[in-house]
Amino acid sequence: MRYGMVIDLKRCIGCTGCSVVCKAENATPPGVLWLRVIKHESGKYPQVRRISIPLQCMHCAEPPCLEVCPTGATFQHPNGIVDIDADKCVGCRYCMMACPYDQRFFNAEMRYYFQERPTPFEQVGYQRHQEGVVSKCNFCLPRLERGLEPACVANCMTKARTFGDLDNPVSEVSKLVRDRGGYQLYPELGTNPSIYYLPP
Amino acid sequence: MPNVSFESRVSRLELRPETSNPKPETRINDLRERFRPQREWAEGRGLLLILAHFLTGAGAGAWIFSMLFGFTPGLVAGFFLVVFGALAHFFFLGRPERFWRMLTGFGSSWISRGLVGMSLFMAAAFVYLLLWFFAARQTSLEQIFFALSLLGALWVVVYKGFVWASSKGIPLWNTPLVPALYISYALRGGAAVLMVLGSLVTQHAALGPLEPLKLWLAVSTAVLVLIYLEVMRGSGMTALRSVDLMLFGRVALPFYLGAVLVGLVIPIAIGGLAYARTVPPELLGLLGLLSLLGDLSIIYCIAKAGLYRPLPA
Repeated sequence: MRYGMVIDLKRCIGCTGCSVVCKAENATPPGVLWLRVIKHESGKYPQVRRISIPLQCMHCAEPPCLEVCPTGATFQHPNGIVDIDADKCVGCRYCMMACPYDQRFFNAEMRYYFQERPTPFEQVGYQRHQEGVVSKCNFCLPRLERGLEPACVANCMTKARTFGDLDNPVSEVSKLVRDRGGYQLYPELGTNPSIYYLPP
Repeated sequence: MPNVSFESRVSRLELRPETSNPKPETRINDLRERFRPQREWAEGRGLLLILAHFLTGAGAGAWIFSMLFGFTPGLVAGFFLVVFGALAHFFFLGRPERFWRMLTGFGSSWISRGLVGMSLFMAAAFVYLLLWFFAARQTSLEQIFFALSLLGALWVVVYKGFVWASSKGIPLWNTPLVPALYISYALRGGAAVLMVLGSLVTQHAALGPLEPLKLWLAVSTAVLVLIYLEVMRGSGMTALRSVDLMLFGRVALPFYLGAVLVGLVIPIAIGGLAYARTVPPELLGLLGLLSLLGDLSIIYCIAKAGLYRPLPA
């Protein structure tokens, strides 16, 4: 089994709802964006096209971050999800330099959004985070363990995201990749990302 | 919840003092850039990593040359430089108290391999110095620690470049030329430490053969820097952008002033003069000092000019 995600760029309207719900689900501190949406313009007037591209950890099958991690804090679950054991991380940030997708964040110190003290939401949510370590998207693993989809998938209002097993040839994600020409970012680096994009 | 206006909340967030690392606001702004700069290894506490690589490289290089020339002050200086470098490494970590965990990734991580090499060097060099100063010399025990410390020093000289070169996210570093450059700079740094010490102590006559060697190292390093920049200019648009940052952008000042002028041009000029005629040891000491500043500058410039690949591809 290898969990993966397909993001349909034709359906994505760039509302950044996935980014917001990721923050809400994972209570990430300021400056830590496990999921972000970038806008990309191409072409020349009057043939200009603007598309929104959601970016998050690609959960590569051959993750360069895992290879360089000196402590084994970065590891891969049997289902393909690349995760970080915060208790093992020393905060050397080598994985940040190795990730070609720049999807890892270092939490130098715990900061709060609106005041010097944490809000009640942050008090609860920050129990999952540590200072001085690196963090990133884990496909909402706690939700998966409860039989739910990742928060970004469940809350995408245009259903641009599909989540499933890439190893299963009859799964929805495999079909989409096959039928709609799904592509990966920087395939030439040999990382084999588990996130595929469908062309706009 | 206290009644605080939105404006004051925002201004409080922005006016918080600069912490030891790039601010979250800076990171958010960087994410909007097409070519995003890496800051974690070049700003705030990241400067400690640059200092660490400089100190360990120069220290290990000094140890190797000191063994070659039998120069005792160089052995002591080399050992302490590596120790200070290791301390800088330690305090760079986000969670230094867990540093021992870094020994576990020896199979795949160059940082882990570096820690093993540094530990081997520091332990062997410490025992060797104790034997050198307080016990009989030329014993088999001393020979064993001589070999072990030399192995550790070579390890320290070699591993650093591979740490940078194995960073797939930064095309400027992800090239086999970087290890060659770092090895060259570490050896050059070691020779420079000896020249500085040679100008301060009376033993400098023992370092005579070092002068042409230092000139050769300076010239070969300059050539290697040129080759590196030229190769990286043709290694994709991100690497080209990084080289442009070094040559014309925000890293140009430390590059031209520190790495080129102070680190290469002046040392080569003084080295050439020393090769042609006798110069006072103080001038050679100055050459070594400038050379060391140049070494620190080039490590900083390469780190600072690192950019991530643009997204989308």
